[in-house]
Amino acid sequence: MDNTNRDRSSTQSAKWLGAALIAALFILPFVLSRMGTTGQYWIWVTTEMIIMGLFAMSLNLILGFGGMVSFGHAAFFGMGAYTVALLMKKAGAPLYLALPAAPVVAALTAAIIGWFCVRLIGLYFAILTLAFGQLLYMIVFQWYTFTGGDDGIHGIPRPEMLTPVNYYLLCLILFLICYFLMRMIVNSSFGLTIKTIRENMERSKFIGIHVRRYQWLNFIIAGAFAGLAGGLLTELNRFAQTDFLHWSRSAEPILASLVGGMFSLAGPAVGAAVLMFLKIVLQQAHRSLVELWAIILGLVLLAVVLFLPTGLVGLYEKIFSRSRS
Amino acid sequence: MSDHILRIENVSKSFEGHQVFSNVSFAIEEGELSAIIGPNGAGKTTMFNLITGYHVPDSGRIIFQGRDIAGKQPFDIVRLGIARAFQRTNIFPRMTVIENIVTTLITKNRGNLNVVTPSKNLKQIRDRAYEILDSVGLSDKAHQLSGTLAHGNQKILDIAVALTLEPKLLMLDEPTAGMSPEERWKTIDLVKELWERIKITMVYIEHDMDIVFGISQKVRVLCYKTILAEGTPKEISANQQVIEAYLGEEV
Repeated sequence: MDNTNRDRSSTQSAKWLGAALIAALFILPFVLSRMGTTGQYWIWVTTEMIIMGLFAMSLNLILGFGGMVSFGHAAFFGMGAYTVALLMKKAGAPLYLALPAAPVVAALTAAIIGWFCVRLIGLYFAILTLAFGQLLYMIVFQWYTFTGGDDGIHGIPRPEMLTPVNYYLLCLILFLICYFLMRMIVNSSFGLTIKTIRENMERSKFIGIHVRRYQWLNFIIAGAFAGLAGGLLTELNRFAQTDFLHWSRSAEPILASLVGGMFSLAGPAVGAAVLMFLKIVLQQAHRSLVELWAIILGLVLLAVVLFLPTGLVGLYEKIFSRSRS
Repeated sequence: MSDHILRIENVSKSFEGHQVFSNVSFAIEEGELSAIIGPNGAGKTTMFNLITGYHVPDSGRIIFQGRDIAGKQPFDIVRLGIARAFQRTNIFPRMTVIENIVTTLITKNRGNLNVVTPSKNLKQIRDRAYEILDSVGLSDKAHQLSGTLAHGNQKILDIAVALTLEPKLLMLDEPTAGMSPEERWKTIDLVKELWERIKITMVYIEHDMDIVFGISQKVRVLCYKTILAEGTPKEISANQQVIEAYLGEEV
């Protein structure tokens, strides 16, 4: 009753496409590992794409589903990263303990920062998230004895069984678990509450929603997923450094969400992968093109905002439903 | 007085030095269907905003069922049993009509923290939502995006959202604003029919005197920063002060 036939067949085929994509992602590293050093490089790149995709999806819980622009999401990414780095390097903790600690520490940080930020709305909210993010960045930057300051923390151990292919698979599996968790949250009563607040904050209060409470909880959930992404990138790079917390890193998932599509769950992950891919292709085409990256990125964003307001995923949905009907 | 569901006691309110109310007092009886009328800018909507927690009075008390609610948050006041519909349509435009009701029911049942069950699978809540839409004549539009409804239907959905909360006091701010004459009477008949059926207290703001005098048990005139007069439609339409201040000579 809820779906027309067309909707059902389009969700059905989206499911098949999703399944095919997941299968391809599982096969990919085994193909790449037979391709020598280029293959090794691309395993590393695709692992990073998966991680940055998770980071972008986590921000989109606030941005696309919550309707709030946060410029401080790197704070939680960075807290996750430094949690893994410090626990493994300084406390000698194994990865299987350090990695779960990343989202916990990030969530606690988000609880404190979010408690203040959700008291403000719109631009003021955005500016306060930026301020807190930069405050954390400065603390990590200055606290040399604990965080290594500008040097960062290097030489994080890598468990022997985690070959590049295995680490890719670990990231992919965690990404998928997070994806299905986020999908569950977005489709739940809690998710509907968040969308309700996004649609009309004032009216939400007058149907009895304690708006700030649910915005705060959503902020914490998003922070936790970002923390896991940060932890995963630290182990991939085997270092953590201050630019993980820098505000420019907060911009990346916003751009990824714009390009991929804010109103779908997978959109930001697609956007993150596409932007990284584009940058690398340009880099390999010609060195000087990298210096033009900011301009090219600007043009891409301009095109998206003007012609594709629902992003790449929105474009796919539009083409697909048109060819059906 | 226990048969007063709501009592406004000496409420004053100013905005940036401009006084809207000075020592307003009135009381609404349980089960009453009453209208608030008055010239533009008299503060009718502001009075609704004070009662529902959007504004905080500078002084005075607002007693709802024996409890002072002045200064409480809107969502707390909703939980105590006051719901409102808005003068300018105030719904969740990019959600379907049924979702507007479902999210309200979830909130009413305090189920907002459920992160597991898909909201589409909440059988009881959806059945109840269809019932509510049926009762206001919107069930055939359940799956339309609510922002694409005709204006009149958006106003009715706004009222349906408020009704979903099963309030003890329902406040409707110009339920017929912007409607054609036929739509107006259709809406007012619906309001009257709901009031008779579910037996709650209703207050509404309205500019159309045919409607006001046609269905209200009681009419209050808000003018000159206070309640100028209150009484039955007959009393109000004959009140010399009200005629001079608001209704005009020809009434």
